[in-house]
Amino acid sequence: MLEIKDLHVSIEDKEILRGINLQVNPGEVHAIMGPNGSGKSTLASVLAGREEYEVTSGSILYNGQDLLEMDVDKRAHAGLFLAFQYPVEIPGVSTATFLKSSVNAVRKGRGLEELKPVDMLKLLRQKAAELEIDPKFLQRSLNEGFSGGEKKRNEMLQMSLLEPSLGILDETDSGLDIDALKIVADAVNKLRSPERSFIVVTHYQRLLDYIVPDFVHVLSQGRIVRSGDKSLAFELEERGYDWVREKA
Amino acid sequence: MAETLQRNNTDQLTRFSTLFAQTEQSLNGHSTDATRSIRSRSMEVLEKTDFPNRRSEDWKYTSVAPLLAPEWVLPSGSQTAPRAQAPGTGITIHFQNGILDRANSDLDTLPEGLLICSIEEALEMETERDRVIKFLEQEIVTPENAFIPLNGAFARQGIYLRLKKGVRLSSDIHFVHSNESTGAPLLISPQLVGIIESNAEMRITETFQGFGGTYLTNILNRFEVGANSHFEHYKFQLESPAAFQVNNTKAYIHRDSTFSNYNLELGGALVRNNVVTIMLDSGITSNLYGAFLGIDRQHLDTQTFIDHAFPHCQSNELYKGILTDRAHGVFNGKVIVRQDAQKTNAYQQNSNLVLSPTAVMDTKPQLEIFADDVRCSHGATIGQLDENSVFYLKSRGIPDAEARRLLQLAFLQEVLDNIEVEYLHEYASDLLIAKFEKASA
Repeated sequence: MLEIKDLHVSIEDKEILRGINLQVNPGEVHAIMGPNGSGKSTLASVLAGREEYEVTSGSILYNGQDLLEMDVDKRAHAGLFLAFQYPVEIPGVSTATFLKSSVNAVRKGRGLEELKPVDMLKLLRQKAAELEIDPKFLQRSLNEGFSGGEKKRNEMLQMSLLEPSLGILDETDSGLDIDALKIVADAVNKLRSPERSFIVVTHYQRLLDYIVPDFVHVLSQGRIVRSGDKSLAFELEERGYDWVREKA
Repeated sequence: MAETLQRNNTDQLTRFSTLFAQTEQSLNGHSTDATRSIRSRSMEVLEKTDFPNRRSEDWKYTSVAPLLAPEWVLPSGSQTAPRAQAPGTGITIHFQNGILDRANSDLDTLPEGLLICSIEEALEMETERDRVIKFLEQEIVTPENAFIPLNGAFARQGIYLRLKKGVRLSSDIHFVHSNESTGAPLLISPQLVGIIESNAEMRITETFQGFGGTYLTNILNRFEVGANSHFEHYKFQLESPAAFQVNNTKAYIHRDSTFSNYNLELGGALVRNNVVTIMLDSGITSNLYGAFLGIDRQHLDTQTFIDHAFPHCQSNELYKGILTDRAHGVFNGKVIVRQDAQKTNAYQQNSNLVLSPTAVMDTKPQLEIFADDVRCSHGATIGQLDENSVFYLKSRGIPDAEARRLLQLAFLQEVLDNIEVEYLHEYASDLLIAKFEKASA
């Protein structure tokens, strides 16, 4: 599904990722952990297609295609979804209008017909209910004045509507209380399937109590310094990131 | 340079004088003494008034030279432009190139308490005559700019409107102007004198729809809003791409009244708005809202003036614009809070998006505050679309062009969201979307 080879990434001439190798197969959940500044969010941003990052060498293949050559909207059509660490507030665009435009654009990109307004409304209501989102929310401007938890739930709503084949969560858990965290984890777990993969970028082990990963990778100074199963996450929690730094 | 401009002005003045003399001759016997007297008075004032030039602070960013170059002629009553639609149901008054289209207007079925007639007719009425003369002369004799006496000299079918005290009009009034020039450039001079008496409520819309050609719509609106009344005034400007518009709208507002003015500026090659509100007492609220979208080489200029002279009044002002291609936008918001106007709340915001390196926006908030116990704020911004927002939308599969359009629409939607009447909100949104589609085509 996703194959990252010797990825080097710089921003303003400063090298942040220094040779990342990662293979994600269908159905797998990979957790990427690491201290602040280790390059976790940079990796998520490059996958999503942010332009301010410069890929100086290496490659990313997504379902056999060169991901780095794909436009941002095309990546979404191809099934890639990034849940933002800081979802953008957009005054004047209602959440419902945004969701409709997004769902139909993605459907169009996947060669499906646009949804009829009545079916769209049904879908939005159903998915919102699953995430315990008040339907009144949909009428509000996108993310404007939403609490941290509301924004993250809104990200999960988008993810469940767009049914990606690869979901990337960029520190979605940061700042959430346990209730909100459970809702986020539930949304991911509901979507887990043998065809669908996830990359969960997180600073804290706590999220992994709820989303149990198949693999855990520890990022430090732009490299994956350790990989293992979920027990690695517990070890990290126990010993702290300094332990990894020393090892590296 | 200055000398050339002066001489051009003089040439144009001579042409206006000639046009005036010809017109008066042709009207011989078909015009009442009272209307002729107002026109002559206007012409006299015009002859003594210079057209504004860019040395004057209020016209620094807008040259009126393109308005003075053509050999203007007056519309004849026999021309028939296609007829534009009103924004909704209600009382509709149609104009063709500024000339009242009686046959298609609802003048014979007006509700109780509402008078709408031509100014010529009003001047024949004992009850209205003095007021009409007083109100028109008040504007014309010491005009804020030469376009006002120009309107006075050439307006032939101005409209007089009076809403009786205590009447709350349940139907909205729509003035629909269909403008088109198929030959020589036309000078179109709509004129509206409106009186809303005390304890009354009314909503009017003005739509200016162009169907092509070169013409100048030179508008004079003069409103009197009586005590404890509510008056909403909407202007939807959709003039032709080669057309010009100058709009002088002035409202005199009495105690405890609310005046709300909504402006959607989408058409025209060169457009200048002067919106003036004079607060004559306490307890007054004045709301001015405007949205504009300039493409190609459009020049869209708005100047507002709010005069706070009494305590406990409030003014809210929000203007937002988007400029692309080689378009040029101008906003100048003047607010005076005079010494006696304590406890004034005055808010003004002008925000703009400039989307191409060749587009220009000039904005100038101008607050002069002489009272000490007031709350006033103003802000002016010029910026580009937020690329983080564009990225967010694209990451959800929305193509670049659509993402940008969605954000631009949202930017101007903030102004339209102040329109509380649903059908007008929808109408304004639809016009905006149509213009965006044209802009991206």
